[in-house]
This record gives sequence, C-alpha cells and structure tokens, in this order.
Amino acid sequence: MIRHLFTLMWNRRRANALLIVEMFLAFVVLFAVGSIGTTLWRNYRQPLGFTYTDVWQLNFTTGQQPRAEQFGTLQQLLARLRSTPGVEEVALSASNTPFSFNDSRSSIEMKDEKGKTKRSINNVNVYNVGPELPKVLGLKVVAGRWFDRSDVASGANPPVVIDERMQRAMYPDGESAVGKMFPFDKKEQRIIGVVSAYRTDGELQEPLSSVLWQILPTDTIFLPQSILLKVRPGSGAALEKQLADDVRRIGPGWSSTIKPLAEMHQSQMKQLLTRPILLGSMSFFLLLNVALGLFGVLWLNISRRRGEIGVRRAMGATAGNISRQVLGEILVLTTFGLGLGLLVAAQFPLLGVFSVQTSVYLTAMVLAAGLLYLLATVCALYPSRLAAGIQPAVALREE
Amino acid sequence: MLLNYLKIAWKVLLRRKFFTFISLFGISFTLMILLVVYALFDHAVGARRPELHTDRLLFINRMILRGDGSMSSSGVGYSFLKQHVSTLRMPEKVSISEAYPISITLYVGQQAVKADRRYTDGNLWQVLDFDFVAGRPYSVAEVRDAAHVVVLNETIARRCFGTAAAAVTQAVQVDGKPYRVVGVVRDVPTVRELTYAECWLPVTTTMADLRDPNYLGDFQAIVLARQAADVPAVQEEYQQMLHRLPIPDPKQFQEIRSYARTLLAHYMTNHNNDAGQDGDAAHFWRQWIGLGLLFMLLPALNLININVSRTLERAAEIGVRKAFGATARRLVGQFLIENMLLTLLGGVLGLLLAAAVLALINSSHFLPYAELGLNVRVFGVGLLLALVFGLLSGAYPAYKMSKLPANQALKGGAAV
Repeated sequence: MIRHLFTLMWNRRRANALLIVEMFLAFVVLFAVGSIGTTLWRNYRQPLGFTYTDVWQLNFTTGQQPRAEQFGTLQQLLARLRSTPGVEEVALSASNTPFSFNDSRSSIEMKDEKGKTKRSINNVNVYNVGPELPKVLGLKVVAGRWFDRSDVASGANPPVVIDERMQRAMYPDGESAVGKMFPFDKKEQRIIGVVSAYRTDGELQEPLSSVLWQILPTDTIFLPQSILLKVRPGSGAALEKQLADDVRRIGPGWSSTIKPLAEMHQSQMKQLLTRPILLGSMSFFLLLNVALGLFGVLWLNISRRRGEIGVRRAMGATAGNISRQVLGEILVLTTFGLGLGLLVAAQFPLLGVFSVQTSVYLTAMVLAAGLLYLLATVCALYPSRLAAGIQPAVALREE
Repeated sequence: MLLNYLKIAWKVLLRRKFFTFISLFGISFTLMILLVVYALFDHAVGARRPELHTDRLLFINRMILRGDGSMSSSGVGYSFLKQHVSTLRMPEKVSISEAYPISITLYVGQQAVKADRRYTDGNLWQVLDFDFVAGRPYSVAEVRDAAHVVVLNETIARRCFGTAAAAVTQAVQVDGKPYRVVGVVRDVPTVRELTYAECWLPVTTTMADLRDPNYLGDFQAIVLARQAADVPAVQEEYQQMLHRLPIPDPKQFQEIRSYARTLLAHYMTNHNNDAGQDGDAAHFWRQWIGLGLLFMLLPALNLININVSRTLERAAEIGVRKAFGATARRLVGQFLIENMLLTLLGGVLGLLLAAAVLALINSSHFLPYAELGLNVRVFGVGLLLALVFGLLSGAYPAYKMSKLPANQALKGGAAV
C-alpha cells in the first residue's frame, strides 16, 4: 500500500512540484523557528545562580577628581552606604553587573605536565567582585569556600572562585577543582571554591563558564565603578534620593545612577525577546497561509477526481480506503518536501555555520518534521472525508 | 476590453468565495507585514523631526584606534571635536552632544522622575529641527556662560508639571543643582538613537572633564552640510583632517578610523567596527531584499498553487476562447490583469491592516515614543510590493493556462 502510494506520487512529481516546494519552504521556516526556540528554551532552563529581588545597582562617575584620591573617597562612600538604614548588604563590582549588557571575557589555556598548551577554554566570563557578593545576590557555594579574611594577605597563589560550568570545562571527567591551580596569564592561582553559576548575561543568553576574583580594599590600581546593594524590601524613591545625595556629598564632582536589577532584567528580557517573538508570529502567519492554501488545493483536487474515485468505489473500495488514499498521498508529498528540507537542514550542523550544538538542530528537525506532518494531516482531513463521501452512482453518471 | 476583463475577474472572484478569501488573506497579510517592517525602517531613518534634513546631516559618533594586537573603540572626545571638527570649513554648522543618552533622576519638590539626558551645545537647536511645544531652546551664549537651563520633552514635562506650558520657567533638580526649564519639545522616539533624549542640558554644566585631550570619549558631532551635494565633500574633508592628525600613543596604535556617516549609513553600520563610510550598505541591502523576497516566496507559491487549480477549473472557458481565435498572449494578458486586480484588492486590505497594526504598536508603548504611521513613502512601497507580488504569482499560472491545448480543454479532460 505505502509503496504503491510512493510510486503513484513519484510519477506525478512534476504536477505536484509546486506543492513539494511549498512543503520544503514550510519545513525550512519551522526548522529555523525550532532552532531558535530550542536554544532559548535550553538557555532558560539552566540555573541563573543568583536572585535579584531588592538588589540595586549604583554606578558612579568620578568627574575631575585626581585618580590618587578616588580610592580613598570610594572607601568613605562604602562605609557610608553600609551604615545607611535600609541598605542591608553592599558589594563592589566591575562594570559587568547582572543584566547590564556589559561583559568582560577571556580565554584560559589548560596545560599538561610538560607545560605545553593542551587546550584552551574560550569565552570565559571574568568578574572582579567584592567579597560580600554572595550575601547581596545569594550565590550558592557548592564546593570549597568563598573568599574570607585569610585571603587578604594572599601569597604566591592568589585565590580564585570558579563556577560549575568552568569546573566541567577544566575537568571533563568530573574531578573536583577545589585546591587545584588555575592558569591565568603567567601567574598560577589557587581555586578555593566553586559556585553553582553566576550568569550575568541573563537567562536567555548562552551560559558561559565564569571566574571570580575578589576586589581587595587595598587595591589602588583598579577602580571598580559599580556597587550592588541589597536593600530592605519596599525601599523606593526616598532611599534612592538619599543615596544619590550621599554620593554627591562624599565624592567631589561624583555623580551616580541607581537602577533596580529587577528593572534591568525586565528591559533586557524585552530587548532579547522582541526578535524571536516577531519571527515567531511571522512564521505562524506563513504556516497558516500554507495550511489554508493546501486545504484549498486538496479540495479542488477532490472535485476534479470524482470520476476516478467513483470508479474505485464501484470496484469495491470502502470509504475508509478512499480517505486513507487521499491522506496517504498528501503525507507522501510532505515526505518528499521534508526530504529536501532535511538535506538543507543537515548542512547547518555539518558546516557549523553558527556556534550551536548539534543536539539543538536535531531537536529542531524532529519538531519541524512532526509539525509539518501534523499540518498536512489536519489540512487533508476534511477533503479526505469529502472524497470518502462520493457516491459511485452519482459520480459516474456526471460524465 | 479591459473593462470586460475586469468584469470577468470580478465574477470569478465572487464565484468561489472561500478561495477568494484564501488568496486575499495570503496577499493582504504578506503585504501588511512587509509594510509594517518598512514603516519601522522609515521611522528610524526617514526624514522626520528632529532630523528633518536627513540628506544634509552627517554624524561622527565613533572612533576606532587600531594597532597590531589591540583595538579601542568608543564615542569621541569633547575637546577633539571642539578643536578639529567644529573648525572644518565645509559644513554650515557643527553641533557637539553626548553620544549616548544616560538615565538620570530629576527631582521636582519631593517627586522623582527618571529621564534620559544628553549634554549638548547651543548649536544643536539650529542643526536639528526640534518641534517646540512651549518655550525656546537655550542659546549659544547661555551654553558659554554655563547657565543652568534645561529643555524637556513633552512627556517628562507633563509628568513633572502637568502641562507643557506650565513647565516653562519652573525649576527641576539635576545632580543636586537647580535648573530652570526654558523649553519643551515634542517627544523624540527612541529609535532615533542619535538624537533621542528626554531632557537636554548645556554641556558646560557637566561634572565631566571637557578638557580631557583623549581622542576617545563620550561625545558625538552632528554636522549640517550647506546642501545635499556637499555631503561627500564634508566627508572627504573630515578624512583629510584625520590623516594629518598625529596618532596618540603610536607604540600601541597605528591607525585612527572614524567616519562622518549619514543617518542610514549609521544604522547599517550597527556598531560594526569594520564597516566603512557607507556602513556596509551592499551587505545590508542584499540581506534585507533577500529576506524580503524569501518571505514573499511562500505566500506567492501558495497563490500560484491555488491559481493553477482554479485555472484548470476554467478549462472549458479557455478552450472556447482559444477555438474562437484568442491568442496565447491575449489570454496571458487577461489572466495577469485578473491577478493584478486580486493583488491590488489584497494590497488595499494590507494597507488597512498595516495601519491597524501600527496604531496598535503606538498605543502599546512597546517602542517608547513611537509615532508609527502610514505616509506617502509607505503607501508607495505598498503599491509597488502589491504589483511585484501580482507579477510573481500570476506569471506562471497565466503561462500554464495559455499552453492548454484547445481540443483537450473543450473535452473537459485537462490533463495536468
């Protein structure tokens, strides 16, 4: 039966070429949307690693104050913020704070015993943060420990904290990284702890490995210009004004901008979701269009093939046989279009055009194929019932 | 003759209403989406206030220092622009303002209002055409004297003082200092990313160091050419000036790159550091026209499929016409006219739908301060698209119809 259908449709491939091309294009659209959707969904499912409710970001600029004086002013400001009622925790950070669209990336070279480069881990997010960060953002330490007082006088190997993704990238066989050496620049550093994650790029971006260093109060080379504040729930404009006034009063020529992380998160989501949603609704319309067109063509086909169907019924085919044939024919056509589409879709993982995992493409292919068959079946249901309802006596007398 | 064709076409459309609906649905929605995309594009780079003289405006808002292993890119320094760009001879006027809007808080009494600010010089109001709802711009003299004056947009003015007119001469607190509102302008949409802001302040009142000799900084120059034809000459003069300039820190950097770009080129550059003066225009157009055609292909194929099926239904009619001597060319003409009528109908529907969607986007405030709408340019593009679509989807069925053998057609058994 199925082989027979394939032969039938193969012989009529020229007549059905346009339908096959339409199916092919529909598959490509579904595949594209499926790939993007799967990527976003996978990223979204990974843990963010921190909570951002009631956390504010305070960024400041130092105006014309001479550089040497800035560090002292910053310490005064921190002391003032810590003693402000309504502010619960305060941590410094470099400008790559959560949801800020700022990032600082680097690559790590893993070496073997002989000191030759074994492999490099690219696109590592590097953070310089104050030691109070876990209290502000609720970072979870899963192995080892976070920075503490004993790390202030660091010896030859400064301490560093990494996240679980980095640990997996360094030791794919599941070894713990705590206590191991971390190669960065020329200096070896000691890994003292592992946090679950710290995805400042947000939950929709591809998760990257991250490395955290602490900002020491004695540092006079690097001036961080972001402060993360955990505030009392319900704090609003009054506290914000007070903080802005404090910054201005303590730092000569300093000015600040304060933003709640929740607000930054919302605007980031909006920015990152606009394009996928636009693409999704456009594809939805395209597929609706295809479905309506397919339905119309099938319907017209049935009314043109009344004679043929009448003969089949007269020769003893049941109504079920007829409707199965109509449905089968369109599914075979879909398969031809799908075959072409898969040939194109397979190029993406093979050529590696975008840096997307192969499994994402495979999921998208399965999704797209399933949806395409569903689309064809739904469109063919009514015409197939129409065909099954043809009475041989009526159909054959029409000629 | 034409009238007869149109009459026949109309009757055919009415005969099978469901198929007419499918065709019209496909055409009108395809055109609607293309029109909305074009309206968004026009909203971002078309000639609209404040950038009314788009053909005379040039923007210098990025500088790239490139060396062997290192590259630095950012906005341009204030003192660099003041020294080297304001002194160019070709332009009519040059205005210097902050390259990116920055969020600040305005205090009016106890009320706090967030707003995006730009520090600007006094020339801004002459180079660009802002639409003042109330009051006036601040003058060059006021900027020179570091007067604490501010221009607000309509929405912020309303939020602070109730109405635009009431805002003028009132005081707001910015960075702990009182500023006097001198004027209120109509809202500038955020997609106008080079001129958008919610409040404008004299650059001389900033805390930042304006004498910083660094070439890189946070500022941009908006250059107004005397006439549209002068634009290439201005760009050339800017490039020559850059060539004569000593390179800062020659150990690290070997090359200074910066361009005076038109508004369209700026958008096409899309923060790409490798783009040239025209912002990689060829790539942009290839990409977008390719995508547009690809997007039209699926509905067009759909329409072709339906048209072919419907043509075969009319085989008997075609047979009769052929038997009475109608040439293939005449039949193709007739069918194309029928299809054009269909696509034009779809085009009108598409325009209506697009107007509705644009109104929806405006009222949803998804794009802040968006004032999307249909104008003559959008309408023209819509008509053009409808015609292209009609030709695209009508040509093949018409060809197929003209090839139908008359004797077979008359017998009614038109083999496909």
